[in-house]
Amino acid sequence: MTPARLNRIIAWSLLVFLVAPALIAIPVSLTSQNYLSLPWDGLSLQYYREVFTSPDWMSSFFQSSLIGLTSAALATVMGTLAAVGLWRMSSRWGEVLRGFLLLPLVIPPIIAAMAFYRLYVPLRLIDTYTGLILAHAVLAAPLVLITVGASLAGFDRRLEQASRNLGASASQTLWRVILPSIRPGVISGAVFAFIASWDEIVVTLFLSKFSVYTLPRRMWNGIRENTDPAVAAAAVVLLGVTFAAFLIWALLQRRARRARTPT
Amino acid sequence: MSTVAASGGLTLRGLVKRYGAVQAVAGIDLEIRRGEFLTLLGPSGSGKTTLLMMIAGFQDATEGDILLDGQPITGTPAEKRNFGMVFQGYALFPHMTVADNIGYSLSVRGRPKAEIAGRVAEMLELVQLTGKERRLPSELSGGQQQRVALARALAFSPPVLLLDEPLGALDRKLRVEVQEQLKDLHRRVGTTFIYVTHDQDEALSMSDRVVIMRDGRIEQVGSPEELYTRPRTEFAASFLGKSNFLQRDGRRWSIRPERIDLVAQGLGRVSGRVLSLNYFGPVLKYQIETAEHGPLEVDVDAWRGGPALQPGAQVGLDWKDDAAVPLDE
Repeated sequence: MTPARLNRIIAWSLLVFLVAPALIAIPVSLTSQNYLSLPWDGLSLQYYREVFTSPDWMSSFFQSSLIGLTSAALATVMGTLAAVGLWRMSSRWGEVLRGFLLLPLVIPPIIAAMAFYRLYVPLRLIDTYTGLILAHAVLAAPLVLITVGASLAGFDRRLEQASRNLGASASQTLWRVILPSIRPGVISGAVFAFIASWDEIVVTLFLSKFSVYTLPRRMWNGIRENTDPAVAAAAVVLLGVTFAAFLIWALLQRRARRARTPT
Repeated sequence: MSTVAASGGLTLRGLVKRYGAVQAVAGIDLEIRRGEFLTLLGPSGSGKTTLLMMIAGFQDATEGDILLDGQPITGTPAEKRNFGMVFQGYALFPHMTVADNIGYSLSVRGRPKAEIAGRVAEMLELVQLTGKERRLPSELSGGQQQRVALARALAFSPPVLLLDEPLGALDRKLRVEVQEQLKDLHRRVGTTFIYVTHDQDEALSMSDRVVIMRDGRIEQVGSPEELYTRPRTEFAASFLGKSNFLQRDGRRWSIRPERIDLVAQGLGRVSGRVLSLNYFGPVLKYQIETAEHGPLEVDVDAWRGGPALQPGAQVGLDWKDDAAVPLDE
């Protein structure tokens, strides 16, 4: 066996190992039985019908979308501004500050969840959209900081100098020169921030009770309380949206790379 | 096109830039006249670019003052100084068309669209790029990009234009052509040009005055002719053109290779033996070993200098009194 062939086999095995557990939801969601099982006895779309017609599932779907989009927007603004600010500082303190700002990525979600809980009880933010959106935005902002920071590392500082030299204020420079140049990083960050909120469960479990009920939260409850295959159908929808977000990201990256290549 | 600008005289007073223990600029005093073409010439690390960045407002002065027409601007941020600048590598905005690049300075000042369009057309004509307004910078050649950078920097009629090695990215033949264009442009717009380069040919051919810099200090200031014919230091003499150095009467002297004449053996001031010769088209360059001054370089006009001398030939070397220039210690 040639090394190249061996490489390919290992790569594919790894991929299957990583992705297969997630994809198992697809056959399970098609089962015709009324408990979680592989569809040996026939295929059925009944659980998709159930998910898409159930007011509970649909409500969770819209709640997750709302929280995901809003917290992603918030995280993108915060992360981008932080990244640009740190890029401007370019000193040792900037690096210290960057490390500090990346902490939400390092802290275990369960610790973050408890911290948010302690903070939110006196603020009366438990079980509110505002609370969950803020928490998800805080958790996702470092992702944006990383992607935008990477874009800025490749940004020619002389473009900023040129803009200032031509009389543009700091905010004009940001909007008209810096942001258009780092747009791929901003969009990547926004997509990652949305995905992070979209499938977040640990913090959500702590911060929501009755009125906020996201898609992962409902799946969690569905699996604990019964073995309704509708959970598998919902999981496929969840995966599908994540995959779509990722696909958009990949396409935009490719277009950005093409635009950078001189004709 | 506007005629000679009403302002643009700069005064640099005791300018110092320190990075920790390193002095990039070590005390510069300089009067830059309104409308002149001044070149900062020096090897890399001489502080010329740092000095330009301080004038532009991108670097703060550790000490000293910068005055524009007598008014201190040392603390004025770059965006309020109204100085045009052509960057090394041009720094054109890659996502904007040529027209948007050139109109940028007016657009951020909130000028009406019609005015911007008119000015952009005028600038495109000035740099002979009419018809290219919708192109992106990446669709232009290096020389065209350089002209867009110039048009962009001049569009808001700045009193001072700063140029940071603007010809560095162009090939040799194009560079000579662009030097002509720059000189012509300078004459037409009347703006003060401050030009940074390490290329002595650019400095000599374009400037009204050249500032030779070394280790963050000014080595010598003068017109190209003054600097070439009367260098005051060994560094100035060897950085701008070539020079031989003689030790006589207890001091150092500089003498340019083309100021030495070859005469018959036994005649002239000193005698020597030809070590080597190289043919350069218009000139023949000889290396001649002399007892008194070691090896000397001598340039001889290839057409008027008579038949070439072969290595080993004995010759006399002569020069006029004013050919040897005394140097400062």
